[in-house]
Amino acid sequence: MFEQLREWERNRHDYAKAWKQRTGGKVLGYFCTYVPEEILHAAGVLPVRILGSHEPQDVTEPHIFGMYCPFCRDCLAQGLKGRYDYLDGIMIAQSCLHIRQAYTSWEKHRPREFSYYLPMPNHVQSLRALPYLTGELVQFKAAVEEWTGKTIANADLDKAIEVYNENRRLMHAVYELRKGEEPPLTGEEAMEMVIASQMTDKTEHNEELRKVLAGLPTRKDGRDTGVRLMIIGSEDDDTEFINMVESCGATFVVDEHCTGTRYFWNEVEPRHDRLEAIAARYIDRVPCPSKDWVERTRIQHILELAREWKVDGAIVMQQKFCDPHELDTPAIRKALEDAGIKTLFLEFDVTVPIGQFKVRVEAFLEMFAEEDLFD
Amino acid sequence: MAYAAGVDVGSTQTKAVIVGEARQIVSRALVETGANVIRAAEKAFEEALHAGDLREEEVEYVVGTGYGRYKVTFGNTQITEISCHGRGAVHMFPGTRTVVDMGGQDTKAIRVSYTGEIVDFCMNDKCAAGTGRFLGAASSALGIPIDGLGPTALRGERPVKISTTCTVFAESEVLSWLGKGKKIEDILLGVHQSIAARSAGLLRRVGIEEEVTFTGGVARNMAMVDTLNDRLGLKVNVSEESHFMGALGAALFALDHILASRAPAKSGEHAS
Repeated sequence: MFEQLREWERNRHDYAKAWKQRTGGKVLGYFCTYVPEEILHAAGVLPVRILGSHEPQDVTEPHIFGMYCPFCRDCLAQGLKGRYDYLDGIMIAQSCLHIRQAYTSWEKHRPREFSYYLPMPNHVQSLRALPYLTGELVQFKAAVEEWTGKTIANADLDKAIEVYNENRRLMHAVYELRKGEEPPLTGEEAMEMVIASQMTDKTEHNEELRKVLAGLPTRKDGRDTGVRLMIIGSEDDDTEFINMVESCGATFVVDEHCTGTRYFWNEVEPRHDRLEAIAARYIDRVPCPSKDWVERTRIQHILELAREWKVDGAIVMQQKFCDPHELDTPAIRKALEDAGIKTLFLEFDVTVPIGQFKVRVEAFLEMFAEEDLFD
Repeated sequence: MAYAAGVDVGSTQTKAVIVGEARQIVSRALVETGANVIRAAEKAFEEALHAGDLREEEVEYVVGTGYGRYKVTFGNTQITEISCHGRGAVHMFPGTRTVVDMGGQDTKAIRVSYTGEIVDFCMNDKCAAGTGRFLGAASSALGIPIDGLGPTALRGERPVKISTTCTVFAESEVLSWLGKGKKIEDILLGVHQSIAARSAGLLRRVGIEEEVTFTGGVARNMAMVDTLNDRLGLKVNVSEESHFMGALGAALFALDHILASRAPAKSGEHAS
């Protein structure tokens, strides 16, 4: 049922190249989910998220500081190795310095015909953030128009907003089904679905999601749900890790990741000024911890997710050296523990030591079943 | 009379313990793990059977634990060494609330409830500094067998500061102190203090609640016990069986299974 989505997730480059050939359109690689994809879609551009490949590499060493996170290094490696050479453009919306360094280094060493730095404000809690970002989006739209030679009309934006909102609604509907006692999909499948959404034309992804949703409520995959887990933390597309955990007697029923709920949770609410409506969506979305300050709004959101999805335990992970997450992790763990939800903290690298993590995960799961380890 | 066994396949050594129905230790065995992990598990179990004068059929249930727990091919199930060390420590010292397990390649800090259930735990990440491996590096740098490290360190008076946090570099740091004319016992005391400091840091991450029980192979090293006591400002529990605590915990879980399978099913228990 999830074969097509998995295929897109695994063969993302093949998809993008085929799309380009089929449509003659431009493909833009973006770093960070604060990029307002709606504007690109309205111009007929395919935005694809740049992610790493989880392989040891040796090409980024002179270009990126050793204590920057492994994810930004893995992303840059893909560019330096030429795996994204089909891209016509690259862009980033400001989130953290680490990923920005990956972007600027890529721009320097692998220049594309279009590159754009969108200064997405970090202080999203300020009342002045919305007018500021709206102004930036006016400039960004003009830059995209100049690059593509296509004028983006309000009707184009309306259509793009609707396609994106529908994608968000459909993924929400899939997540709703995970609230049930026996979720009809694994956390790995859910992660593949969201990553595939970041790699493909949303119109096509929506079509596939509608097919999946037609059969999903009655799907029986015959596996035991086991311990209901949530995963929280920084960028994480490590499906191998998710699979390992789910093979130990647990199921991820929800997440708080930018390859999961943080990416699609909020919709664009209609406003007369379309760019302001888009800006409001990115200002008000569930924030990345680099922007979740002064108030930590994520914590309340995480607790709500945990309650609604009836979570027993949470794995709190972060990419090594990810300072924003590092800062929030103690507060998040405390809030969860206070709510009676056990947590396990793990630090990720480009490749994770599956054996070492497995013993931690198994011991964590044993904590839920100590009284009946042998039942 | 039923017997239960626990086999703890560690990165360096494999331990087996057989317990009787009264939860008493009947026999134990210790072998080097080596490259053939399956064989090491078999050998430890055979030796424990032999030491207890038991036949294999008399042991009703076997639990495998340790990093090689899935290599205990004759085992009935597997439980992580984290749960097993907690269980073993609380069995030996019922007042235990915190366990520090120092093994060949990792050190674990485990918080337990009075029944031995795990409340929280953490392990050294990515690096073997602060584990038995660190002592192994010092042993090879100084040409002193592992068993001789503790007694030598106990003679130290002016410990050197081992600043490195990397096991691989520890060896060269030890050599550089030797080059500066420092006494071997002072260098070794410094090595033990460095490990104690790393372990104390790990313990503070889960929170230290007394009593603290020290388990794992390194717990046989008296200098390690002393430096850990100094660092924590308390006296850790150590037993003759510290080295076997994981295997003991596994054997106790195995015995639970035997006893539970005899008792009528508890109400509300789900079958799985």
